[in-house]
Amino acid sequence: MSFEMWAEKYRPKTLDDMVNQKEIVERLKSFVKSRNVPHCIFAGPPGTGKTTAALCLARDLYGEAYREHIMELNASDERGIDVVRETVKTFARVRSIGEVPFKIMILDEADNMTADAQQALRRTMERYTETCRFILCANYSGKIIEPIQSRCAPFRFTHLPREEHDKYLQYIAQKEGLKLLDDGVNAIYEVCSGDLRRAINTLQAAASLGKPIDAKTVYSIAGKANPADVQKMIETAMKGNFLEARKQLRDMIQKYGVAGSDIIRQIHTEIFRTEVPEPWKIKLADIVGEIDYRLVEGADEEVQLSALLARLVEAAHEMKDAKKV
Amino acid sequence: MYFPWTEKYKPKTLKEVVGNPDAIQKFVEWVKSWDKGVPKKRAAFIYGPPGTGKTVTVEALANDLKMELVEKNASDYRTEEAVKRFAGLASQYGSLFGTKRIILFDELDGLTGTADKGGVKAITDIIKTAQCPIVLVANNAYDPRFINIRNNCLLIEFKKPSPTEVLKHLKGICQKEGIAAEENALKFIAQRSEGDIRSAVNDLQALAQGKKRLTYDDVSWLGYRDRQETIFTVMRMILYGKTCEGAKRAVDMADVDVDMLFEWIYENAPAHLTDPHDLARAMDALSMADVYRGRIRNTQDWSLMRYVVDFMTAGVAMARVNTKTSGWTPFHFPERIQALSRTREERAMQLEIGRKLKRRCHISAKRASKEVLPYLRIIFKNNAEMAAGLSKWLDLNMEMIEYLAGSKEKTEAISRLLG
Ligand SMILES: Nc1ncnc2c1ncn2[C@@H]1O[C@H](COP(=O)(O)OP(=O)(O)OP(=O)(O)O)[C@@H](O)[C@H]1O
Ligand SMILES: Nc1ncnc2c1ncn2[C@@H]1O[C@H](COP(=O)(O)OP(=O)(O)O)[C@@H](O)[C@H]1O
Ligand SMILES: [Mg+2]
Ligand SMILES: [Mg+2]
Repeated sequence: MSFEMWAEKYRPKTLDDMVNQKEIVERLKSFVKSRNVPHCIFAGPPGTGKTTAALCLARDLYGEAYREHIMELNASDERGIDVVRETVKTFARVRSIGEVPFKIMILDEADNMTADAQQALRRTMERYTETCRFILCANYSGKIIEPIQSRCAPFRFTHLPREEHDKYLQYIAQKEGLKLLDDGVNAIYEVCSGDLRRAINTLQAAASLGKPIDAKTVYSIAGKANPADVQKMIETAMKGNFLEARKQLRDMIQKYGVAGSDIIRQIHTEIFRTEVPEPWKIKLADIVGEIDYRLVEGADEEVQLSALLARLVEAAHEMKDAKKV
Repeated sequence: MYFPWTEKYKPKTLKEVVGNPDAIQKFVEWVKSWDKGVPKKRAAFIYGPPGTGKTVTVEALANDLKMELVEKNASDYRTEEAVKRFAGLASQYGSLFGTKRIILFDELDGLTGTADKGGVKAITDIIKTAQCPIVLVANNAYDPRFINIRNNCLLIEFKKPSPTEVLKHLKGICQKEGIAAEENALKFIAQRSEGDIRSAVNDLQALAQGKKRLTYDDVSWLGYRDRQETIFTVMRMILYGKTCEGAKRAVDMADVDVDMLFEWIYENAPAHLTDPHDLARAMDALSMADVYRGRIRNTQDWSLMRYVVDFMTAGVAMARVNTKTSGWTPFHFPERIQALSRTREERAMQLEIGRKLKRRCHISAKRASKEVLPYLRIIFKNNAEMAAGLSKWLDLNMEMIEYLAGSKEKTEAISRLLG
């Protein structure tokens, strides 16, 4: 019996296997050819191949034993300055032996590094350029401080386009012997909007049910994977029951550990579907955007999102007033 | 974020538990007697007033003796059926991994009404045949509902610890927090708590957090004016303030720190500003206060604190335009803080599974626990074979598997496949 997470099983091993991101892949290949890599920033939405590209580049560059030449560090778990001071420095300063004269440090989810840690990194990057190159992966390059950005070659990863996404999922389905219906693929794209990690996880969870995968299955999986019943919360708020809506929000965040960024993304989708006057929709979108940004900056998720809920209460109230007139 | 000292300084071992030495001794001996075979009483019934260390004692003992503690609150065992689910666990002393097991039914008082009757009865049944120690905890053991249970249990009474004992605990906390506290000040808190250590620690935190020293003057006002009374006065100044100055002044009066005060306002504002426009303005002001808190965190520039205060006090006060001030609405303690400590354990488990995912999936433990774990949960509920494979691949332990599978039957099906 052998099972793994399919997102890992089907993670490309070499740059040639990568789906989409054509220009990026070409440039990375040219680095391999010249056996020289600058410091890089890979920026883009989740599940678009940033980490994968970094690993593929390393494998293509160093061969199968690439693990000896790289270090992966995840800034979400180790955000502090001490890590940069100790771990990164120790790794960076020791020269690597072999054909390629430098090692590669992959700093994943680097947008979660504290500003201090980034400042410390800045010196390290410069001082040890000869022995170590850095690849920073991030969702928002804006959260990487300017001085570091200026030391790096930027790469922008984009969501996978529809055809590539579908083709890849069908490929996995075929390898795993699944029956994946067309409306099933459609539904996966709709709920994961091109985030391939999420798409593959959805596919695997759907496959665990052991029946052909259609749209209905996918939606039910997505619903279960997202205890964030955002729609219900919005309805509660629109009925004017702020306290209950805030309670639902609290449960999502505290009990189920749903990320604020996920909740806000769903709210954004829902807003354009709810029955508020058209001009309000755009007003709300503006507020959603502002709050999205604040969350990225590390604000308190519940406090920020409940401010948004209060706006929904207000919008529904105005609508009722308007009807009375 | 506000982290309760009652959690931070919760005793981890019996040595740290304050007071009730005889009761604890009796309890320990009974638990140890299980090693020589099933004793006459298969359950212990610990009872006593709130905040005297009942729950803590059981947890610390399990920790000291390296036992597996299965801990349940009233909400987990309301019905007969719910209790029966634990029957299997109670039928074995040693767990799968050879550690000994102890089962705790906490907060028995929480069972009310007829719907819960079945629960009480089922517990009695389990006790009669239990093969591992069962512990029941309640404030009032002499409630007529518990009569059958009581007759089958070793009764252990927890009494209120003396002020001297409470004082010792408070001193220890101050020392660890680096607070120089006057003996008189701590004595005052200890006496006022009337043996409720939980409330003594809460009082201490409210009065002393962030301070370098705590004097008798800092606490003596508690004497003529109850702590709750003060926070209520402060809340009234903010939620019903007519001027910005007045609302801002409330902060100086409040003897809780700014973060805690923020929580109080955030909790209570909606019920006092019910007009939708007022509500939206108030929540907006609070969200701005929070933005400035973030800026302080990021820049360590504490001078920005004045803006936090502006928004959370004056900003909220000025939100009131339409809401009438008639009627009386109570203020209550920030629910979110309580909820947070309740769910802490669950989140710890999620993060632990996240760490396992991290080792395999090139993603942070944090994100994995939020983004990948939900899919695992679906798989573990639906497909034992795939679940078993993944358990092996991720090197999950039994506790994690049980958490993901969510039920005993499914956990068993998976562990059978694992061999
Ligand atoms: N005897 C004690 N020694 C040290 N700390 C204590 C003691 N009793 C209570 N505390 C503190 O108070 C908190 C609550 O204690 P605990 O959960 O044991 O109360 P309890 O007796 O079970 O109360 P309840 O009847 O309300 O459930 C603990 O986390 C700890 O910080
Ligand atoms: N461009 C891509 N080509 C092929 N697979 C991809 C691509 N992007 C993402 N994936 C799939 O999604 C998973 C997550 O990708 P990863 O590179 O870790 O995302 P991120 O951009 O968040 O770092 C991979 O294991 C792989 O299966
Ligand atoms: Mg990544
Ligand atoms: Mg208790």
